[in-house]
Amino acid sequence: MNWKPLLLACSLAAAPVLADPPRLVIGAIYVGSVNDYGYNRSFHDALLQVKQNLPGVTLLEAENVPESPAAERIMEGMIQQGARLLFPTSFGYSDPARHVAKRHRDVAFEYAGDGDAEKNFGVYFGSTQAAWYPMGVAAGRMTRSNKLGFVLGMPIGYAVGNVNAFQMGAHSVNPKVQTIVVVTGGWSDKAREAGATNALLDQGCDVVAMHVDSPATVIQTAEARGAMSIGFQSLEARALAPKGWITGLGFTWAPFFTEIAKSVMAGKFRSAAVYQGLGGMVAMAPFGPSVPPAVQKAVTDSANAIAKGFNPFTGPLVDNTGRVQLPSGASMGADQMGTFNWYLQGVVGKVK
Amino acid sequence: MSTPLALGVLAGAVLSGTSLLYATLGETLVERAGIVNLGLEGVLLIGASTGFAVAAGTGSAWLGLAAAAAAGGLSNLLFGWLVVTRRANQLASGLAMMFFGFGLSALVGAPYVGAVIAGLPRWRPAWLAALPWVEATTLFNYDLLTWMAVPAALLVWWVLFRTRWGLGVRAVGESPSAAYAAGRNPALLQYQALGAGGVLGGLAGAHLSLSLTLTWAEYMTAGRGFIAIALVIFSKWNPVRALAGALLFGGAEALQLQLQARGSGISPFLLEMSPYLLTLIVLLLWGGARRMAAPAGLGRTFYGSD
Amino acid sequence: MVETLARAGRALLRHALVAAAALAMFAVILLLAHKDPLKAYLDTFRFALGSADGFVELVVRMTPLLLTAVAVALPARLGLINVGGEGQLYMGAWLASAGAFLLPGLPAGLMLPLVIVLGFLGGALWAALPGLLRAARLVNETIATLLLNYVAPLIVSYFIFGPWRAKGSSAYPQSPLYPDAATLPALFGTRIHAGLFIALLALLLYWLLLEKTRWGLEMRAIGGNPEAAQRLGIPVAGWIVLALALGGGLAGLAGMGEAMGVHGRLRQGLSPGFGFTGFLISWLAGGRPLGILVMAFLFALITSAGDTLQITQGLPFAVVNILLAVILFIVLARRPAAGGGR
Repeated sequence: MNWKPLLLACSLAAAPVLADPPRLVIGAIYVGSVNDYGYNRSFHDALLQVKQNLPGVTLLEAENVPESPAAERIMEGMIQQGARLLFPTSFGYSDPARHVAKRHRDVAFEYAGDGDAEKNFGVYFGSTQAAWYPMGVAAGRMTRSNKLGFVLGMPIGYAVGNVNAFQMGAHSVNPKVQTIVVVTGGWSDKAREAGATNALLDQGCDVVAMHVDSPATVIQTAEARGAMSIGFQSLEARALAPKGWITGLGFTWAPFFTEIAKSVMAGKFRSAAVYQGLGGMVAMAPFGPSVPPAVQKAVTDSANAIAKGFNPFTGPLVDNTGRVQLPSGASMGADQMGTFNWYLQGVVGKVK
Repeated sequence: MSTPLALGVLAGAVLSGTSLLYATLGETLVERAGIVNLGLEGVLLIGASTGFAVAAGTGSAWLGLAAAAAAGGLSNLLFGWLVVTRRANQLASGLAMMFFGFGLSALVGAPYVGAVIAGLPRWRPAWLAALPWVEATTLFNYDLLTWMAVPAALLVWWVLFRTRWGLGVRAVGESPSAAYAAGRNPALLQYQALGAGGVLGGLAGAHLSLSLTLTWAEYMTAGRGFIAIALVIFSKWNPVRALAGALLFGGAEALQLQLQARGSGISPFLLEMSPYLLTLIVLLLWGGARRMAAPAGLGRTFYGSD
Repeated sequence: MVETLARAGRALLRHALVAAAALAMFAVILLLAHKDPLKAYLDTFRFALGSADGFVELVVRMTPLLLTAVAVALPARLGLINVGGEGQLYMGAWLASAGAFLLPGLPAGLMLPLVIVLGFLGGALWAALPGLLRAARLVNETIATLLLNYVAPLIVSYFIFGPWRAKGSSAYPQSPLYPDAATLPALFGTRIHAGLFIALLALLLYWLLLEKTRWGLEMRAIGGNPEAAQRLGIPVAGWIVLALALGGGLAGLAGMGEAMGVHGRLRQGLSPGFGFTGFLISWLAGGRPLGILVMAFLFALITSAGDTLQITQGLPFAVVNILLAVILFIVLARRPAAGGGR
């Protein structure tokens, strides 16, 4: 028997298996630490997942990168080290990242924020606003004092939208409820977050939610005083509140990131503006031990409705000064979520 | 059932003011000996990060506290070597210590960011909890450092003004040569004051990470070291007056958060400015008197060519 | 001639030894953190000094440092301690922004001089206040300038969140982009901006003031012995306010430069410690203009190293502060008396 053709056929068949997987160096810059149980961790976890899904990927990471032109330098450095896909993971990197993108048209960028997509610059984010509605449902059902606390880093449009949806959801199951907002002035001022949480609890809130980079301090402070918490940013935060955890929202970037990485590897990167809500980039955390099944069902039903397209931002919507911000019949789309500069009726706080 | 504003602010002031107080006490000791440590911010950060790292690594907040105290003391001794033994410029040395603290704390704390610790335990005696409104707040539910805040201030006062050692320290602060002529060892006294001050500074930092926030983040002291330096002057280099000052400053910060929780209309940024402006105003109004109260030796460094 | 060369050579050797000692100590720290010091230093060297991008980066970082250093050095001639560079920087950026936003229609020929003047004025006024307090013997300027450091960024934040908030889809708190006329022109098509000229000019004027004018002599007289100067009829109080105002104005120009030359808009976090770094540069250089130039370059190099360290070694950027501190410790420990003024 002539073995040669057989050997040749076998080696040809084996070639794709034995060949190196496509290589890609991915760079990511974070505004804080990846161990923050919050915002930064969600990106880090997702990229680790990408590494697992795609063996040829090398990951370069830089933490605590300031949102200033210094970030340009870091990104340039990563490109010098071979990065061909960059993830600037915070709103504030827009200017520096776009500058670098202009200078390196052969490198793909995926920016976590908004604005226009450019040739090699895609934008994406998780549409969290509608997803806060079921969180509000959960809080509205669980609260006994009818006061919900919300610790906010900075009153930017998206965050204000989160608060509004939260109040809406809570109000839908509990008409007496109000949401009190305290702003800390920064996304990561731990001492202020503790003080803000205490102030909210002093005011009688028994459920605390937050939009800061890391929910850790808020959740731990609330837990220590026997209050309940709703987490945000990372699904892992529930480990911090064994008793008081109700539920939370987290980001699941991994599927989207894997798609992007694959497209870059195949040379088929197409920049776009991609926003996904509940069911896509945004996911709901498991319920805590103290949440009764009836509440769980109400929340899950609400979440499913959102995932299927229910838009809570439909008029009439009145703000907390009494002015009608959204007339009857009108509705706000996902692309307007950054424009909020008013709080819904029932929210105690001032946007400016 | 919500807490009256005054109680809420008081509660917040005590929590926020604890680390301020310890930092101020430490700096008071040091300045009484005639030395200004502009690097107090760095010492606080070193205390906070070391305390957190040890607590996270060993599982014991008490070990963390001890480590923070030791780290603070050592940092101040390093500073002391520069300004006492090498007679280096105090302000420049202080800023160098500040940068050192930024960097060292980041290095020490980096592996432990996100670690979850149990934190210092808190107690509240039942009879205090029974007082009206107290139960729902954080009032009187304190860790060791906060409970010991008033005793610590009294202790520092007593040491400075009722012991021979304290007399020596103050003498050195007034005039090292006169102290030397009187048979004291100025350098030793200054080192001792620095060491003790550093321990207090380390504890101040530790309170932030081990009790108040239960986390570590770079630069988390957010300028408390500089506020403490202002507080020392505000309280006329008197440890007991520092209690009032720390409460006032902690209160200003708590006030802005509490007002927000009550739907106040004041911009948070304007409220945030108030502690600093308050200090300036106080210094302005009582500045002249305070200059007389400063240790004369301090004047040489602090007041430049006067 | 030989004498001068020999002295220069010895000075160079001293500086080189300091640098070597500092690098050695930092290497130990890197080793303790399980990092490779040699690779770290090579990477830094290669990027910062061996590439055009790196050099551009150095110059961009140096520009504000030159200004904040002179902001400290000038008042220091009178024995005044200005640690308020941070705040003065922010107020310069703020006032310049106010001009740009209130009069957006101005052509570049008028706008640029306007923002430069306003940048200077913002910092100058912010420093004049502590100057007045000091001249009136009410509050020590070290403390006053220090406290105002915290107020200034809050004022900027208030405006960014409020009256000057950028409208539109990006809801991130920052001002809109400055009108083109207000943006400092870029040089050689790089990130280096015209602020560099301002900084170098300031340095030159400072040198001229000190060495070549009678005011420089007056300042030195006051700095040496204020009472005697007062008796000689020199208006010490006026000089105090003026010197601090001039210094603050330069720091304000640094702020204007960062806002209008580098960022392109007003936002939080304009200064990663430029004011304090300027203080240290001035002190290390003994307040001398050439020394300031050299030290600013060195500091820019070190902070550049921080970025490289973070990317290649995975160290937090803040660690580079240790290297800065070590260099300072060495210099501080070596000099038996204060190095060039208090």
